[in-house]
Amino acid sequence: MIAVRRVAGKPGGLLLTLFLASLLIFFSRFLVPGDPVDFLLRGRKPSPEAIAEVTAQYGLDLPPWQQYLDWVGGILQGDFGRSLQYRQDVTTVIGDRLPVTLGLVVMAGLMIAIAGLGFGTIAALNRGRSGDRLVLIALTVLAAIPSFVGSIVLIAVFSVQLGWFPSFGSGEGFWDTVYHLVLPSVALAIVFTVLVAKVTRSAMVEQLVREHVEVATSRGLSRGAVVGRHVFRNALWPIVTVSGILVAGLLVASAIVESAFGLAGMGSLLVQSVDRLDFPVVQAIVLLVVTAFVVVNAIVDVLEPWIDPRTAAGAGAR
Amino acid sequence: MTRRTLPRALAATAAAAAIALVAGGCAASDTPEKKPVEWKLSATTPAPAGDIDSFTWASYAEPFSLDYAYAFDYADNQILSNVCESLLRLNPDFTLSPGLAESYEHPTPETFVYTIREGVTFHDGTPLTAADVVASMNRHLDPAVGSFWYSAYQNVTSIEQTGDRQVTVTLAVPGEQFNLAMGSSAGVIESAATLAAKGADYGNSTGGVNCTGPFELADWKSGESITLKRYDGYWDASLKAKAAEVTFVFMADPTARVNALASGDVDGSWLVPSSAVQQLQNSKAGDMYFGLTSAVGSLVVSNLQGPLGDLKVRQALMMALDRKGILDAAGSGIGEVTNVLTTKSVWVGADAGAVDSAFTDVEPYDYDLAAAKKLVEDAGVAGEEVTIVTAPISGEFAVISQATAAALESIGLKAKIESITPGAYTTMFSDPSAREGVDLFYTNWYLSSPDPLEMYGVLRTGEFSNYGGWSDPEFDEVVNTAMAIDDPAARSAETAKAQQIANAQLPWLPLYTAPTTLFLGTRITGAAPSIAYLYYPWAATIGAR
Repeated sequence: MIAVRRVAGKPGGLLLTLFLASLLIFFSRFLVPGDPVDFLLRGRKPSPEAIAEVTAQYGLDLPPWQQYLDWVGGILQGDFGRSLQYRQDVTTVIGDRLPVTLGLVVMAGLMIAIAGLGFGTIAALNRGRSGDRLVLIALTVLAAIPSFVGSIVLIAVFSVQLGWFPSFGSGEGFWDTVYHLVLPSVALAIVFTVLVAKVTRSAMVEQLVREHVEVATSRGLSRGAVVGRHVFRNALWPIVTVSGILVAGLLVASAIVESAFGLAGMGSLLVQSVDRLDFPVVQAIVLLVVTAFVVVNAIVDVLEPWIDPRTAAGAGAR
Repeated sequence: MTRRTLPRALAATAAAAAIALVAGGCAASDTPEKKPVEWKLSATTPAPAGDIDSFTWASYAEPFSLDYAYAFDYADNQILSNVCESLLRLNPDFTLSPGLAESYEHPTPETFVYTIREGVTFHDGTPLTAADVVASMNRHLDPAVGSFWYSAYQNVTSIEQTGDRQVTVTLAVPGEQFNLAMGSSAGVIESAATLAAKGADYGNSTGGVNCTGPFELADWKSGESITLKRYDGYWDASLKAKAAEVTFVFMADPTARVNALASGDVDGSWLVPSSAVQQLQNSKAGDMYFGLTSAVGSLVVSNLQGPLGDLKVRQALMMALDRKGILDAAGSGIGEVTNVLTTKSVWVGADAGAVDSAFTDVEPYDYDLAAAKKLVEDAGVAGEEVTIVTAPISGEFAVISQATAAALESIGLKAKIESITPGAYTTMFSDPSAREGVDLFYTNWYLSSPDPLEMYGVLRTGEFSNYGGWSDPEFDEVVNTAMAIDDPAARSAETAKAQQIANAQLPWLPLYTAPTTLFLGTRITGAAPSIAYLYYPWAATIGAR
């Protein structure tokens, strides 16, 4: 029942958040110096009529609020406008690149979940011992590697030296795509894995010293059952919460990895579009990332009662 | 006075970007002890042994569009030149020969009559007609298109079909400059039916193009690659493609590009970063070639109200710049220091004496710090500040801006380096307000026609790309006179005078010219290393090694 109420309570807040985000995203472009038309003309000598004509074609001659209404109205009909750099519908431009980024984020997400939870658990169960220290040191070293450095090293070792993986491109078909995305996913996953592992470790350590765990252990339950039923389940909530935030981080961080591996994804598109004053594309991507973030966190909120029994019981610690 | 201010300013920045990207930060840290890179110019590469199924090519960027009206840059044109053809053909040696126009006449100083070649078909199989030519060319005059090549057409008053296979172009002013541009993307011909059918999507990754070149567009994987396949109905047997398929992969990251070339993942590339040349030369992955260029790297003097408004100060700066040192640091020494704004390659059909005079009867501006200091003192501007704008486009940009600042400081001026984004840098070439408060910026300016007047036309009073608002009535007079002369030899004598005036007055400060770079992997050969690759179907000549 609580879960139902939580879901019902969401859409209003969700829509308000998206509305405010849309205002911020759209009008912030007027704070950026530079005229999109200058980019369209790119250093050539235009005829004055052409400047006026091109400005009108992209609706840049309208007052800002009118441009905003046209923009929002278009989005509600699935039309994000036209890219200034590619002279193409934004939906097409983004649609071409979305699968690459989603593939990358999903693969990196799986790696982060498996490795992050795994290393965190190993560290927590060995807390204070050498296994813990080893994992912590390794994580600290890994956390210090920026994605672009990771990418360069991975390419140098696994593509150029060993020739195991391709150094660029996203491949054709499912398995070839997976093969092409292995190295980029690893590069993307490293930093986030560290984060998840550290949260996992501290959440589990926190649980391990709690009374109910000691009680369970003293009752003679096996170590596996204790860890699985009592420690891990209670520790899961902070981990899921962090993971919700990670999704947005992954989408944004993919830019660097995509550039390094020559992947045509949303991240590299965003970076290019910002530099080229291609506002329709920038606005669409930012809106999509914000939406993804808001929706994922709404889902996390909805999942909370199932994950955290205390919330469901109405006796939550919060 | 036909005038063509091509959008190459931007192109230049982008190209430099490409070069620079690869150069990355390495160029700046190059040590003087490093052995200079060995290079020599080649006109060709070894002839191919035979046909090849396919090869891959690295490009530093994806074309924004393959619409010829917007093809103004290295990324667009290196692909388009294999797919779409122009009325005239710009050959690797920079001569013009018949293209889709099998011949042309110049009956009056203001008219050009093109006879359209018979037996040419578009990639969809439909035959080329005079109506296609009229439709294609008229797009440059349509404000709704906003053609990047408008300047090539700005003196055109009409483009009409005047016979079964005949198109007549009428100009407002006499001169051959319009015709000289017909070998570039300004002269590309597309099917009128395709233009009408595709509308606003013409040339983008969904709309595509339908031209007459040796390759047709097969697949455009947005953001990643473009694949061309051989067009079997191609009209010119001598340029029939030796490769059944070519794939261009877009690799913005310079390290990734060099890695891909070195590992053999990609078969070749233009615009090889100078910092990677030695690595590629030493690798067994293929061969480096250096070829004809039309580009000169120079500092644009964009403010004549400041200290650089005094000719003595511009001369002093030239004398204080260690241009050889800059070339070594910025371009690994690949290239030559120059005192003028054109390369000899564009002086096609010129009088030998005129060329000699244009390149040797000029001020050399040898490095002389004492004399330079004296000039600044004489000008009474010592201690004044000069603003240099640069962008993180390439190592080249960083080296040049730092060296220029050092040179200014060494002759008693103050220097300020402002770094802006590559996008903002680009707008300096189109928007006067973006140049406010800017005294100097670097550009690598290439020409798209076999005539040095293309360069000097830009520097006349009031011209769009005369960024500093420099004005010299004598220079304007000389350039205008030259533009009205049809005979290239006679014209070159006047152009030589324009070059000498620009060398003496320094509206821009010429630094150096670097050759076109080409890398061919061990599987392929046959392309001519020449900057004409922007307009000539170079990929058609590549086959198996």
